[in-house]
Amino acid sequence: MEFNDQKLKELLQKWEAPPAPRELFFRVFPTPPWWRWLWTGSIRVPVPVGLAALVVLGVVWFWNREPVSVPQGSVSLADFHPVDQLEPRIIRGVNYEH
Amino acid sequence: MTDSELRQAFDQHKDAVYRFAWRMTGSPEASEDIAQEVFLSLVRRPESYDPARGSLRAFLLGAARNQALKRFREEQRWDVLEEEDFAAAPVLHVDVVDAVAAAVQALPPLQREALILAEYEDLSLEEIARAVETEVGAVKARLHRARENLRKALAPFYETNPRRVGHGI
Repeated sequence: MEFNDQKLKELLQKWEAPPAPRELFFRVFPTPPWWRWLWTGSIRVPVPVGLAALVVLGVVWFWNREPVSVPQGSVSLADFHPVDQLEPRIIRGVNYEH
Repeated sequence: MTDSELRQAFDQHKDAVYRFAWRMTGSPEASEDIAQEVFLSLVRRPESYDPARGSLRAFLLGAARNQALKRFREEQRWDVLEEEDFAAAPVLHVDVVDAVAAAVQALPPLQREALILAEYEDLSLEEIARAVETEVGAVKARLHRARENLRKALAPFYETNPRRVGHGI
């Protein structure tokens, strides 16, 4: 039998090569340090989750807000004295040119 | 190319590029370095790939080929990359896989790259010619010489088991 191209091809196919190692990915696309994410990272939040989070934050703020300060006790007019003598003065006009 | 397209290209072609480099050099470390260089150059200059000039796979294999030849020249492993007078000797291995590996890696680089791209990576003659920057006629000649040399090198395996070549020796 002749050792033709087809037979040679079959023989060559017995030599298999391994796949690329996993480390290759990190050599081509190196992972940046984790803290860089704090400056450059982004988060994708689904709209329903974002709205729910806003509602929860609103409710928490509403229940924890500072109460409006109301003066303690009742107001007493015991020490109130009306003005003894009113001395109204009527100023008719001022001439600033002199 | 966007970042996600580059990552997709890496996922699709990393094994082909690594396999080619591994068969060309026989060294896992060198193959990893070559594959890294090939993809880093694509990441740095994605515009260097022109889809009008062929498939991305052929382009990347061509880049891997250039890196491999650069290494051969630096290491001076081959004085002449194409040795038309190269005559293969029968390989002396017990295991058929070792014998095939030794026979292919004994080929001069230009014959070896043409054979690997044709037999293992299924590139067409035109794609090989583009990847190795030569004419189709030159690729045909190199493939012919490579197959002749392999027939001589692997003759002992075929002569002892001609019917079992396709079914495992």
